[in-house]
Amino acid sequence: MYYYLYDSRLGDKKYHNTIAKIETRLTDLGINGKINRLSFLKNINQILTEEIKRGVKTIVIVGDDKTIGQVLNIVKELNATIGIIPVGNDNNIAKLLGIPYGEQACDTISSRLVTKLDLGNINNYSFLTSLEIGGKNISLECDGSYVINLEGGENIINIGNLNCCFQEFADPLDGKLDIYVENKKRRIIGKNKYSLSHFVNKTIRVTGKKTLPIFITDEKKIVKTPATITVEPKKIKVIVGKGRYF
Amino acid sequence: MFKETPTTNETETVIGPSVKVEGDFATEGNIIIQGIICGTVKTSKNLRVGPKSKIFASVSAENALISGEIQGNVRVKDKLELTSTAKIYGDIKVGTLIIAGGAILNGKCQVGNAKDKTTKPDFSKQEKIELAPQTKTATKKTTTKKK
Repeated sequence: MYYYLYDSRLGDKKYHNTIAKIETRLTDLGINGKINRLSFLKNINQILTEEIKRGVKTIVIVGDDKTIGQVLNIVKELNATIGIIPVGNDNNIAKLLGIPYGEQACDTISSRLVTKLDLGNINNYSFLTSLEIGGKNISLECDGSYVINLEGGENIINIGNLNCCFQEFADPLDGKLDIYVENKKRRIIGKNKYSLSHFVNKTIRVTGKKTLPIFITDEKKIVKTPATITVEPKKIKVIVGKGRYF
Repeated sequence: MFKETPTTNETETVIGPSVKVEGDFATEGNIIIQGIICGTVKTSKNLRVGPKSKIFASVSAENALISGEIQGNVRVKDKLELTSTAKIYGDIKVGTLIIAGGAILNGKCQVGNAKDKTTKPDFSKQEKIELAPQTKTATKKTTTKKK
């Protein structure tokens, strides 16, 4: 049984045509099901728990990355398979998973290519793709065995689970997180100097001399340091497309 | 040993020039060090140390290409190559060693596999050779006639 969660913004007129085509295709494929629109007034956790008790096995999220990020934290503990139909502007997760946009995603849902993916966790909040941290004087304590100190220049740190950063792809099946550190040293005369570092770890503790914001790419949410980042290996079941990179 | 454009998908750790690592750094993939490390460095694959990098640690790798400074012991299973800018202040134990002119090595050096050396024979097990006793006999003087 399939259960569809629509982003609240899909009620807008510009999406009517796309939604109509998606619903027609789902009916043709025989995978249509109950539809529910996300809203801050609704208790989605309670609704989904009851639906799973009734026999729902697949929860399909219709929306963009922000919708997926919001629903992921609720769905991860429910032991259901997650499907995605990308609609809207920001659909990086669907691209990485090889899921086409709009109506064509219905065929991907129908094919049911299920893979168990790792899930990142920052201060007990889950993320699927990556985190971004920027600033100076940052320390990363990795796996409790060594500390990375970044002093001097401006640093941009990208901690990825399912991610493409600096033309390198992170593996969402290895049970680890990829850390990319780009350091920029500004020069008064001449070009700025850039350098790139790469680490692979399971747990990271981020601290700094000052409180720094950590940006969760999925939901466009900010968490502040100090933060402990871990990975839960093969935590969620997701329907993926053939065009995925892993 | 080290290619400019690696074709394998092995995990590669890169420690950039602005990064300082403290502690026990261990990995199963290749390591490229261009920054500063204090502690220990271990890998079961290849290690490359850049010319401006400094390592205050003991180092262990399968193969290594050193162009920077290491203050600590180095243990390489197979091949260790020191370029002209390499400086090692510590003992090294390697399978094969290549040193370029200008490299500095200040410490004990053990090269080659210890198993290759021949075992010393045990002379105590050999049978004693008894020499025949010498007897006093009259020696005849022989002269040769010149033709």
